[in-house]
Amino acid sequence: MLRVRELESGYGPMQVLWKPSLEVKKGRITTLLGPNGVGKSTFLTTVFGSIKPWGGKIFYEEKDVTLVPTHKKVEMGLVLAPEGKHLFLNMRVYENLSMGAYVKKALAHKEESIELVYSLFPRLKERKNQLAGSLSGGEQQMLTIGRALMTKPELIMLDEPSQGLAPLLATEVFKTILKMKAEMGLTILLVEQNAEASLDAADYVYIMHEGVIKAEGKSEQIRNSSEIREAYLGV
Amino acid sequence: MLLEHLAGNLIQGLVLGAIYGMATMGLSLIFGVLKVVNVGHGAFIMVGAFITLWIFNALGLNPIFSIPIAFAVGLGLGLIFYSLAIRKLLKAPELSTLLATFAIGILLEELVKLIFGSEFRGYNWVVGKINLGVTVLPVAKLYACIGSIIIALLLYLWFNRTRAGSAVRSVVEDDEGARVCGVNVGGVYALSFAIGIGLTVASGVLVTMFIPVGINPYMGGGYTLKAFVIAVLGGLSSPYGAFFGGLIFGIVENGSYTLFALIPGVEPFALTRFLSFVMLLVILLIRPTGILKAK
Repeated sequence: MLRVRELESGYGPMQVLWKPSLEVKKGRITTLLGPNGVGKSTFLTTVFGSIKPWGGKIFYEEKDVTLVPTHKKVEMGLVLAPEGKHLFLNMRVYENLSMGAYVKKALAHKEESIELVYSLFPRLKERKNQLAGSLSGGEQQMLTIGRALMTKPELIMLDEPSQGLAPLLATEVFKTILKMKAEMGLTILLVEQNAEASLDAADYVYIMHEGVIKAEGKSEQIRNSSEIREAYLGV
Repeated sequence: MLLEHLAGNLIQGLVLGAIYGMATMGLSLIFGVLKVVNVGHGAFIMVGAFITLWIFNALGLNPIFSIPIAFAVGLGLGLIFYSLAIRKLLKAPELSTLLATFAIGILLEELVKLIFGSEFRGYNWVVGKINLGVTVLPVAKLYACIGSIIIALLLYLWFNRTRAGSAVRSVVEDDEGARVCGVNVGGVYALSFAIGIGLTVASGVLVTMFIPVGINPYMGGGYTLKAFVIAVLGGLSSPYGAFFGGLIFGIVENGSYTLFALIPGVEPFALTRFLSFVMLLVILLIRPTGILKAK
């Protein structure tokens, strides 16, 4: 569904991505694992288009989308739940969700999408009239995912959804991600540092180190390879 | 007697303030969305003033008709300057857009000077005065005030009731957040810059309805300075914050003018300008986020 070939990008003069390639199959959870600061977030933001790629190719549903702007990608069903959340902190919870239904095809399904998000995250329903800035870290994470779901995506890229969450909450988030795959038929590209939990959820895993893909394989393969675990995951 | 004076000054101040507010909304919109400080702000007000002058003298049209024309011209100018200069500088250090807007301001002033010359001009729109009991208000000023309020309301409705308006609000809050919602952020930048300039040029029409004389290519500088004070008063990135900031500024300026005029040997106009900078300093010191914003 998504194929990335030899992607290069970075910030200013500093190159971060050194030609990683990756494929996301429809209906699967693909995880990009690696410690902090190895370029995982840069990878997602470049695929989404907030950062322009310096080189390489991105194909979505067999179409070359390397230089397609972000708003077109959202219309095509490719969306990002970004690191750092980027919520509209001075807007209410439901206003944040409404903004998620900005593109035309999402606007047509706004009400049912909101109900779906509320059923996935009942906490957001309780807090729907609260300002996003007044939510706890976990609730903000839910809202970030919820807002991305409002765009009616087919492929959702989640950037460290368990970051900064207490273990119990992180487990909740991973359960929800599995639900999104099983019940909503979503394809998911997940970026994580949390190896244990994300290996459980993933169908296929890529390991990134210093802007390069160092290893890939089915979840069990990665889990069973003590070499990979020791070298890159520290578990 | 004192109460009547107070009421009179309050009315004059509010009428003046509505125009000041309107003349600052464009600056705030552009800053809020693009984080660009338009140092050439006053020059666009001047362009609006000359459009009014030219339309009145050459076509004999009522200045009210100049409002939509000036807005349209401003939209066009905004789009041209955005695509020629601003768009390319958004990712550059802040000083670049500051210098670019400064240069655009000078360019406009010199262009207008080339066409119209540098002497003071004015036009004579006779619509009479209206006696409110506590004060006498020229009808032209009343029109300018009503025009300001209508434009501010329209902007408010556009901002809060339309899809494009919601896109602009989302970019003001967080541009990456807007991107993941599918908002064309580059398009919002262009649109907001164009509308900001459109509002500013249109406010130039209202300014001449208030002061129909004194139109000249360099009249904008004073308005740029006042707009900065007002924008800071209203919290910088909110156009209607700016409108209310303008109301407060108008009341203070008008009131202080009246008071300063009572002191013998003092030139009140110069002192009001001094006072506006004292205001700017005090606000920046005690509430740098503006006095109208909660946080």
